[in-house]
Amino acid sequence: MGSVAVEPAQASALDRDVACRVRGLTVTYKVDNRELSALRDVDLDIRQGQITAVIGESGSGKSTLALALMNAVSKPGRIAAGKVTYRDLGEVTAMDSERLRRARGRSLSMVFQASQNSLNPLTRVGAQLLDLARSHDMRDPRAVLREAAALAERMSLDADRVLTSYQHQLSGGMRQRVGIIFGLVLKPQVLLLDEPTTALDVLSQSSVLEIVRSIQRERQLTTVLITHDMGVVAELADRVVVLYAGRVVEEAPTTELIRHPRHPYTRALIQAIPRLTGDPSLARPLEGQPPSLAAIPTTGCVFRGRCPHRMEVCETSTPGISQVSDTDHRYACHWEGAAND
Amino acid sequence: MKSLIPRLIRRLFGGIIMILAVASFTFFLIHLIPGNPALSKLTSLEMSGVQPRQAELEVSAIYGFLPHQPLYIQYLQYIWQLLHLNLGKSIMYAGISVSHLLLLALPWTVFTVTAGIIVSFVVGILAGVLIAVYRDRWFGNGITLFSTFLHGIPQLIMALLLAYLLTTIWPIFPYGSPYKASMTPGFTLPFIGSLIFHAILPVAAYAISSYGGWALTMKSSVVSVLGDDFILASELRGLKPRIRIGYIARNAILPLFTTLTLSIGFMFGGSVFIEQIFDYRGLGYMLITATTNLDYPLMAGAFLIITTAVIVANILADFLYTAIDPRIRVQ
Repeated sequence: MGSVAVEPAQASALDRDVACRVRGLTVTYKVDNRELSALRDVDLDIRQGQITAVIGESGSGKSTLALALMNAVSKPGRIAAGKVTYRDLGEVTAMDSERLRRARGRSLSMVFQASQNSLNPLTRVGAQLLDLARSHDMRDPRAVLREAAALAERMSLDADRVLTSYQHQLSGGMRQRVGIIFGLVLKPQVLLLDEPTTALDVLSQSSVLEIVRSIQRERQLTTVLITHDMGVVAELADRVVVLYAGRVVEEAPTTELIRHPRHPYTRALIQAIPRLTGDPSLARPLEGQPPSLAAIPTTGCVFRGRCPHRMEVCETSTPGISQVSDTDHRYACHWEGAAND
Repeated sequence: MKSLIPRLIRRLFGGIIMILAVASFTFFLIHLIPGNPALSKLTSLEMSGVQPRQAELEVSAIYGFLPHQPLYIQYLQYIWQLLHLNLGKSIMYAGISVSHLLLLALPWTVFTVTAGIIVSFVVGILAGVLIAVYRDRWFGNGITLFSTFLHGIPQLIMALLLAYLLTTIWPIFPYGSPYKASMTPGFTLPFIGSLIFHAILPVAAYAISSYGGWALTMKSSVVSVLGDDFILASELRGLKPRIRIGYIARNAILPLFTTLTLSIGFMFGGSVFIEQIFDYRGLGYMLITATTNLDYPLMAGAFLIITTAVIVANILADFLYTAIDPRIRVQ
């Protein structure tokens, strides 16, 4: 358990299967004296012990969401509204900096998009693991090193070599794995993976994902996977959250979402995947670009600019959340066609 | 660290070559001076009735070579004497060997220059960190402005200003000589205190005129390191602030070491002005007196010793750099 006291009121406020609850989360960036929202009114339940994927194009607010989950949005951005509450930690959006520091890296850990450069170039990997252990007041820092060595072996790395190496002595794939070791070594309750395999070739990618998957299963680790890759989502995730222009447009269990996508955006995403069998030209890319931060419409549907089913109502009213009956499949769309498969 | 010894040997070898090059340069420089001082000395000795043999010996003792021999023989004689650490004899301090004079002067310059570099480096780095941290506020901007202003003032002017204000108008600090003349040198507290007291103004002149450069370089270095991914990573991993500051500081100081190497030479060059202004009897003072009194052997010797000091300092700085940056250690 983390060193941060659990607040019973907040702990009991969450259902037993929800590890993290996000409500009304709005993150804004200040650009030229205008507050532009990168995330708007995001509601999300991250399930205990499951892998929740957050999928979206670049600029959809994925990485901002990852940072906001750790209350780490930095200037010129800020969390303008909303709460992020963890079952075991309480509300991170209300913590002071010291409590936040203790939670980060210990209870909530993150593997970065730029994991290849997440190490201090001037000290050895082992020394940095010790820095991590000391920062979180581990009683036996050596045990942390042993745990790291075990994880390294598991990821088919030569543990002795890796722990005594400097960053520049490791290859890209090795650094990425080291990043994952840093994420797992203190046995966090929640793991955030922000595009953990973007920089890797296909083979390293699948081996890294396999390791993450097996450790996640073993520890029943609550995991949030931020990605733009529907293939990775299909392979790993239990649930999927689709993010577009800073809003959640659809949320469902993975198989349900892939078989019966509701929102026109999700449909387009799935249609864009080339099939292994059949005519590759059946894959249809989604036309157009996601709106830039400044161009996101504040009223109406954010997707309407690229939507094939656009209606008048989409201009004026923001679609509410509809739930597919008897499932936990939710989407936000005015189009009646969305209700049917 | 296995590669350290061969590397040191390579660097020392390179240093010796450079020293020889400078020695050759000073030799030919003296020959290019109109009137050929060595020859005119020989002639004037002979004219004043000294035996030719005696006169030759004397000139040879002063310059390390005989002026009427072929140039290459003179050159070889000079280098040969040099290899025996014989730099000839001073003219203005008649009969005293140049190496003796220089060895007396060297410690004072090394002391003040080193102190000046350390003080300016430390002050500059701290100021740079402050500017970087408070870069959006008037406090940071104030330090930037102040540092830029002082950086623009040459050492020479700064030294004159300090000497005028603090030894003449308000005589707070002593002027001249490295320690109080009435004291006997030794490892005693009052003597060391006097040494430091006398060194304050020269050291301040070095430091004030060069800390601004460090501060501005450090500021941009810190700002760029703050934007690095691993700093964000260390924050998201919840590292203690003390450890994070260590990460930032070490990475930010690194690029400054290259400049440090260059500044050593600059500081030794500055000693020519600063020591003369404060009447502080170090190498720079020695060099300028030798020049004004046409004491060529002393001049050549001073050149040589300053070169050597700069080369040695460079080698030291280079190895220091290797010690703190693992990326340039040869595998």
